[in-house]
Amino acid sequence: MRPGDLLFRAVTALAAFAAVALVVGIAYEVVRQAAPAIAHFGLAFIWNTTWNPITRDFGAGAFIVGTLVSSFFAILLAAPLAIAIALFLTELAPRWLRGPVATLVELLAAIPSVVLGLWGILVLGPFLAGTIEPWLSKWLGWLPLFSGSPSQAGMLNAILILTIMIVPIVSSITRELFLRVPRELREGSLALGTTRWEAIRGVVIPYCGPGIAAAIILGVGRAVGEAIAVTQVIGGGTTLHRSLFAPADTLASKIASSYQGASTKLEGESVLYLAAILLVIALLTNIAAQVVVRRAEKRGVL
Amino acid sequence: MLAAVLAVSVLVILVASVAIKAAGAFSWDFFTQPQATFGESGGGIAPAIVGTIVLVFWATVMAVPMGVLVAIYVSEFAGPRAARTVRVALDVLNGVPAIVVGIFVFGLLVVGHGQSGFYGSFALAILMIPMVSRATQEVLALVPRSLREASLGLGISRWRTVVSIVLPAAIGGIITGTILAVARAAGETAPLLFTSSIAANSVSWDASQPLQSIPLTIFTYSESPSPQDHQQAWAAALLLIVFVLIASVTARALFAWRRRRTGVDAGQP
Amino acid sequence: MLTKLVNHWKLGALAILATSVVVAGAFASAASPASQRAADTKITGAGSSFVFPLVSQWIPALGPALGIDLTYAAVGSGAGIAQITARTVDFGASDAPMSPDQFSACKGCVQIPWALAATSIPYNVPGLKKRVRLTGAVIASIYLGKITQWNDKALQKLNPGAGLPATKITPVYRSDNSGTSYNFTDYLASVSPEWKSKIGVGVNASWPTGIGGKGSSGVAGVISRTEGAIGYVDIAYALSNKLQVASVQNKAGAFADPGLRGTAAAGATVTKVPSNNELHIVNPPASQKLAYPICTFTYVILPTKTAKAAELRKFVFWALTKGQTYGPKLLFVPIPLPVLAASEKTLLQVKS
Repeated sequence: MRPGDLLFRAVTALAAFAAVALVVGIAYEVVRQAAPAIAHFGLAFIWNTTWNPITRDFGAGAFIVGTLVSSFFAILLAAPLAIAIALFLTELAPRWLRGPVATLVELLAAIPSVVLGLWGILVLGPFLAGTIEPWLSKWLGWLPLFSGSPSQAGMLNAILILTIMIVPIVSSITRELFLRVPRELREGSLALGTTRWEAIRGVVIPYCGPGIAAAIILGVGRAVGEAIAVTQVIGGGTTLHRSLFAPADTLASKIASSYQGASTKLEGESVLYLAAILLVIALLTNIAAQVVVRRAEKRGVL
Repeated sequence: MLAAVLAVSVLVILVASVAIKAAGAFSWDFFTQPQATFGESGGGIAPAIVGTIVLVFWATVMAVPMGVLVAIYVSEFAGPRAARTVRVALDVLNGVPAIVVGIFVFGLLVVGHGQSGFYGSFALAILMIPMVSRATQEVLALVPRSLREASLGLGISRWRTVVSIVLPAAIGGIITGTILAVARAAGETAPLLFTSSIAANSVSWDASQPLQSIPLTIFTYSESPSPQDHQQAWAAALLLIVFVLIASVTARALFAWRRRRTGVDAGQP
Repeated sequence: MLTKLVNHWKLGALAILATSVVVAGAFASAASPASQRAADTKITGAGSSFVFPLVSQWIPALGPALGIDLTYAAVGSGAGIAQITARTVDFGASDAPMSPDQFSACKGCVQIPWALAATSIPYNVPGLKKRVRLTGAVIASIYLGKITQWNDKALQKLNPGAGLPATKITPVYRSDNSGTSYNFTDYLASVSPEWKSKIGVGVNASWPTGIGGKGSSGVAGVISRTEGAIGYVDIAYALSNKLQVASVQNKAGAFADPGLRGTAAAGATVTKVPSNNELHIVNPPASQKLAYPICTFTYVILPTKTAKAAELRKFVFWALTKGQTYGPKLLFVPIPLPVLAASEKTLLQVKS
């Protein structure tokens, strides 16, 4: 191999190595910075739901619950919506409409999260407190989820904002999947006498099952990691509430609002412990999505 | 169906409310003046506009060469295992929350040295690299093998082949990926929260000092009680949305144009 | 052949574009207006949002007066202390005095009281004709979640005939680490034994109820958007956002307002300043009949050893003297003489 080639190969290999090192470095650095808090609190930090700077009692419990609740409800709302949109765009919409609508949905994904948060504070918040939450309270107020009085800032606002964020991601991946379903499969099903809807339900969706699962997992990953828009609308609550109307906090949004302002070393380290937990959750969802995709690829369905 | 209508209407409502509320704030002052002193009205976001331009510029300078080089390694030189490792690493990097990236850069660089625009750009670059790299990989994979083999057959060295033949064929996809990464970086707030947030209220092109940025300005104004601040936040948001829209449309147009020219399906950006 | 040429042309165009952007950038920074600003010394500070209104009045004056280009970020007292400890800024600002732990972590810092103002209690109840009257015990009960509606009996008793509505009370607190929270909880602990034992005093607390806002600005924002909300915020923010503020009963039994008179009376109770400059003037003794009971000094935190010692001393000395004249229109009271003397003396410890 000529020297020019060797050099070039070395340079690109170095870049690739640097990329891998960066990923490892981030994980290492975050855990290293959290180490003092991990040593101090141990694993009990994870289910301790107190966060009290005065008594120096810190725990991630309330925020892990917040992260799980917000992501769960967000994907619960977003997944059916996204799949429906993908179906609409691939099967049901007239051809001339598909391009523009698909573009519009993807543009929704490109809106910066801080803009969504701004809209959440100034437009969605008052609408929730004035219209939606009173309505929910009136009809479903007996459910602990919808108990309590309406509030502009709270878990429900965060859930809706996260839903708006996840839908485009899940729907564009799902749309790609639907487009790749082999014609023969679809046509074969119709030839056997099934209706269009039955073909979709019985053939297309199961065929794309793993891919849709991966898309959903990726959507959850996005919701878990979102700090800015969530911290703008979620109200900064420090105690756990049953109601979705009440203010709450997630791991990411707590980090965004507290990190720089730690008043004691222990508090700063505890926030870093939160970051380490968040990183672990985000990595787990990311890896889960990759595993699902890889398995589907092996089975030949992707 | 209902779902698509819902999604599209949310987008329309979003953009419309931003546009309507922003209307009053647009003025020459908005684009040229720094923030008003506490309690006074008026002022603008000129330092933030310039800050975002500078921050994104340096982030692009850091991210694009890195992303392209990594993609070249994976597509031209790496064995299957190495390629898979790098691809997995980049996917994982893509999944790291932006706020954690901000903490990483803060703990690594800012502590002890102070904030700086370069650190902010570095944090943004970390977010951009997976996007640029993935776009480059996809488009490199589409360059026909025959092109490379013909070039090597003619006795041209490997590196020359890549630089003068393969890359130019892929340049459209690389630019598309870069534009989309730039659009993302321009709108990110979390990485800048800890790396470039304490900035002077004057226009500065100097990246060695912390710089203001449009997303951070929107963030701060969004929580303020003052209606003037809100209006400026809406206007800044409109600016961002318009920029992102133009970038997306440009990227799409480039992709479509290249597709027509080369007849190659260069993959969805 | 032609394709190759065209492709190269594209690359070339890109290269030219990139170069011109870089050159333009370099030019712009080099040709930055050779104004006064470029020659000024740059000083950066971060911390208390409480003092931000006053500092932002100082910034335009400091350039012409002292040749100092000041940047200040109102990230909260907690963050201010953290930043100066990490030396990521030249000075910190906090309304909460530093604890011994924080002093040792800061490795040679001093705190210097440089401003004095009141923490007002703004509320959002439209349609009331008169200022709402509150006592410390009532405020504590509201924040403990024991009083939940505006027409509660306790509130009616203090405000007979005011027509308080049945709206829910939403207490608003600072979600970030805040010196204003410290001042507020300090006050509540002194008037409510239950608050003192259950919650305590600090820059942040385990708030039993309510909504959090980030920064003084954020709290004022939540209050102005939420009907029935009540909160605590530096008077300058309440003023500039036209929020209604409550009168609070002091130890002498009078209902005082968070204005210049009430604040000056509270500040006048300081006759001697301890060696670490830590001052508490909440709930002042009954001898001060006009005192507003929730006032606080706010501190600038400086390292004793710093390369910018000369400029920092000039700046803080100016702030302690000429800077105080910018205060009254924002309802900051000039610091009383004993405090001024102590501050100037401490300032001498800052050396390069």
